[in-house]
Amino acid sequence: MSTRTRIVIATLLGTLCAALVLVALPASAQNNGGGSGGNSGGDNGGGSNTPSAPSTGNVLRFGWAQEPDNLNPFVGQNEEDFTVWSINWELPIGFSPEDLSPTSAIVKDWEVSEDRKTVTMTLERGLKWSDGKPITSEDVRWSLEKLGGEGVLFTSYTDGITKMETPDPQTLVLHTKRPDARLVGGLYVYVLPKHVWAKVPPDELTGQYKPELPMVGSGPYIVTEYEKGRITRMERNPEWRGEPGPYDQIQFIKYGTQDAVERALQLGEIDMIGEVEAGSYARLGEQENVDTNSSPTPAYTQLAFNLCPEKLCPDAQFNPAVQDQTVRQAIAYAVDREKINEIAARGTSFVANGILPSYYKAFYTEPEQTYPYDPDLANQMLDDAGWTMNGDGIREKDGETASFDVYVRSESPSNIQAAKLIAEMTKEIGVEFNVQVVSTDKLYDLTVRKQDGKPAPAFDTFIWGWGGDPYDPSFLLSILTTGEIGGSSDSFYSNPEYDRLYREQTGLFDTEARKEVIAKMINITQEDLPYLVLTEDPALQAYRTDRIEKIAPICPEETGDLFCDSVSPQGVIALEPIAGASTEVGAGNPGLAALIGLAVGFLAGVLVTRHRGRNREPLELPE
Amino acid sequence: MSARWLAGKVGAAALTLLFVLIFNFFLFRAVGDPTTQLARLPGATDAEIAQLREDYGLDKPLFGQFVDYLGDTARLDLGVSQKSREEVWDEILHALPWTLLLVGTGTLLATLIGSWMGVVAATKRGTKTDDGLLGFSLFTYAAPEYWIGIILILVFAVWLPWFPAGQQVTPGVEFTSWFAEAWNVVDHLVLPATAMTLMLLGQYFLIMRSSMVDVMTEDFITVKRAIGLPRERVINRHAVPNALLPLVTISAIQFGAVAGGAITIETIFSWPGLGELSYNAIADKDYPMLQGTFLVFSFGVIFANLLADCLYFFLDPRVKSK
Repeated sequence: MSTRTRIVIATLLGTLCAALVLVALPASAQNNGGGSGGNSGGDNGGGSNTPSAPSTGNVLRFGWAQEPDNLNPFVGQNEEDFTVWSINWELPIGFSPEDLSPTSAIVKDWEVSEDRKTVTMTLERGLKWSDGKPITSEDVRWSLEKLGGEGVLFTSYTDGITKMETPDPQTLVLHTKRPDARLVGGLYVYVLPKHVWAKVPPDELTGQYKPELPMVGSGPYIVTEYEKGRITRMERNPEWRGEPGPYDQIQFIKYGTQDAVERALQLGEIDMIGEVEAGSYARLGEQENVDTNSSPTPAYTQLAFNLCPEKLCPDAQFNPAVQDQTVRQAIAYAVDREKINEIAARGTSFVANGILPSYYKAFYTEPEQTYPYDPDLANQMLDDAGWTMNGDGIREKDGETASFDVYVRSESPSNIQAAKLIAEMTKEIGVEFNVQVVSTDKLYDLTVRKQDGKPAPAFDTFIWGWGGDPYDPSFLLSILTTGEIGGSSDSFYSNPEYDRLYREQTGLFDTEARKEVIAKMINITQEDLPYLVLTEDPALQAYRTDRIEKIAPICPEETGDLFCDSVSPQGVIALEPIAGASTEVGAGNPGLAALIGLAVGFLAGVLVTRHRGRNREPLELPE
Repeated sequence: MSARWLAGKVGAAALTLLFVLIFNFFLFRAVGDPTTQLARLPGATDAEIAQLREDYGLDKPLFGQFVDYLGDTARLDLGVSQKSREEVWDEILHALPWTLLLVGTGTLLATLIGSWMGVVAATKRGTKTDDGLLGFSLFTYAAPEYWIGIILILVFAVWLPWFPAGQQVTPGVEFTSWFAEAWNVVDHLVLPATAMTLMLLGQYFLIMRSSMVDVMTEDFITVKRAIGLPRERVINRHAVPNALLPLVTISAIQFGAVAGGAITIETIFSWPGLGELSYNAIADKDYPMLQGTFLVFSFGVIFANLLADCLYFFLDPRVKSK
């Protein structure tokens, strides 16, 4: 028998033996196991599971490429933080999953005084934190004061409150300087357990404090494990006031990239993705046992114009032609927003009409002016206004040229593509856009630039986006108020009438009356055009149809997302797992066993051959 | 080992480290004001931004900041992550073992397999075996690691679902024994370690092959054959040990360098090591974390070089004699 044959035979035998032993070992290790497991089992369905946890309950597995910063609401800023917080803690007043209107949460009902400056909230009786302690009005007051006062993402919601009183454990009275409808339906501040959080020194709360686990909460699930880079685990809150959730656990699993998350869904490692990329949305929907959902959100992408007036921004750097209203309106007519959605957003977004997304059903009215695609009209408007074409095909007037820089963030390929499309489209009307791709930091610097303490923005236009709150549109509307110049305003738009209407609408508790005022505001901005809103950004999600039985868009019903992400814990409760969808665990991994067996067998083969060969070696001559 | 020689090497390493420290400090200040990222909050006021600058010591003159930075680094205080608000050093310590496991396994396998292939190719120079091994090695050497990673995932995790496509351990599972957990880790290690091995294999193969070819033409090999020693014995006992010398040093140097090069593989396979930590820090513009990982990578390379020099001292009598 030749050496080569011996190696092959030894390798095969070694492989077989090692594979048998290695397949048996993890299975026996697991059989000893206890603890909790999941219906979705684990890694790819090919049997590479070697965990030792049997399936004793249902687990909902989410996958994400970004994870919560550290779960401390005083400092956390990621969307993923909100996903977890909104399941762990309730707001004082929640959002109805049906239509997002204000609904009882920790606060059962509320009463607005005649002068609309006082709101009296009555808490649900008998509510308890997950550790069994009662939830009282003092918890709500402390949260509004501390989290609403120092939490980086929550300070704007409580700035109208002048005084808070807690006459008894069930009552909280809020006083405001001016009527503020945001107190009902827009008080986006989580209620934290004071007995846990008030013990932490204030400096630590806004510094390096990491919440203790389990994270005492009031929602249907509470965080019991947070391992950065790996998993955030939530388990049932035994004191949850409502119907218990269908899952024993919710696991949020961190992957390195968005590709890896989407692959994990295809392989059945996870049950749902809360955020799918536009580029892979269609492909993912074609996969077996995977379905997708696109829903509008309170977010949009806009082409912003620099409208900072001379007296406010004496040192601003921009092409003055951008402040010509006719030019902006002509650009609006020349930009085909449908095409931008189709190409830049791969058809996943929704064409926008104005600064209020249609997501805000209670307050949305289609504006009078929507700028349908009409390049001929755009050309006519510019001709009428005296903008004439020069030799390069670019319009000029009084020494000014209709040539603008449009800044886009290098981090956003879809924005870059949108900018290129706009540049292409506006060529037809003699308006030039020079696409400038910069980092987010750079664009931020250009918009917040100051000189001698005054705003000095250095841009003509840029493409970026904003996102609002679930029900109350005040935040999105506030961005264009004069008061936000030096704050959130990035177009430096100022219109006293708009400011007056903004103040008026914040004080209206009557939805219909408020809707009318907001419609006027939208119409003003559609005329002035500080922003040309291009698309309303969607929430793109995907899930396994063989793991989740009942899934219907909610928040709002029919058009909302799959689990009411970051809005209400009711979304997770509404999901239903498919009975018996659990994956068998503990079968060992034949692939790994075979691989190790192959290596062991090969080594054994080589050693045996060498040993036999050595015995037959001729005598070595003395050196 | 001569103390003078060693002192010289350590001194050079220390100087390089000092340069890295200085470069590291200025690099992350040249890319922009770190508070720009921190202050991107709705309605952040000038006072809040000033407070942030004070908290991060950015209100001090540059030289003062540099002195603080040197002192803090010497105490292994690399600052606090702007993202997670955790100590950078703690996060690095958490990620380091996973990188060492991946890089260690990949380097070890690449060295063993690459050198074995190099020996086979050199001893069968000009044959089809040599051509095949050379072609394969050049292919894996030239192929981008992300491509290799994706192909491995597609074949062995998607088409043939034999191995997990990512993570270091099945998430959300409680293990009842260390063996079950270790087995699970090995299961998850297969594909990233294979990608790492393939990424490194080519250079070890090429070095070993050319080194062996050189040695095989040396006079002493001819003499060994002439005195009647079997071919296998001449190769294994006399040629390979001499040819291994450059490979050992290259392995040591590479071990430091590939820790940084693991960024792509760790990201593709969601392997929670230093590479993924750096990748996330870049995405989040978490400057303290980037500064920390950059320093650790640099230290790894410098230390590995020093180690290679020391190994050379022992392995190569010519260095000793000098």
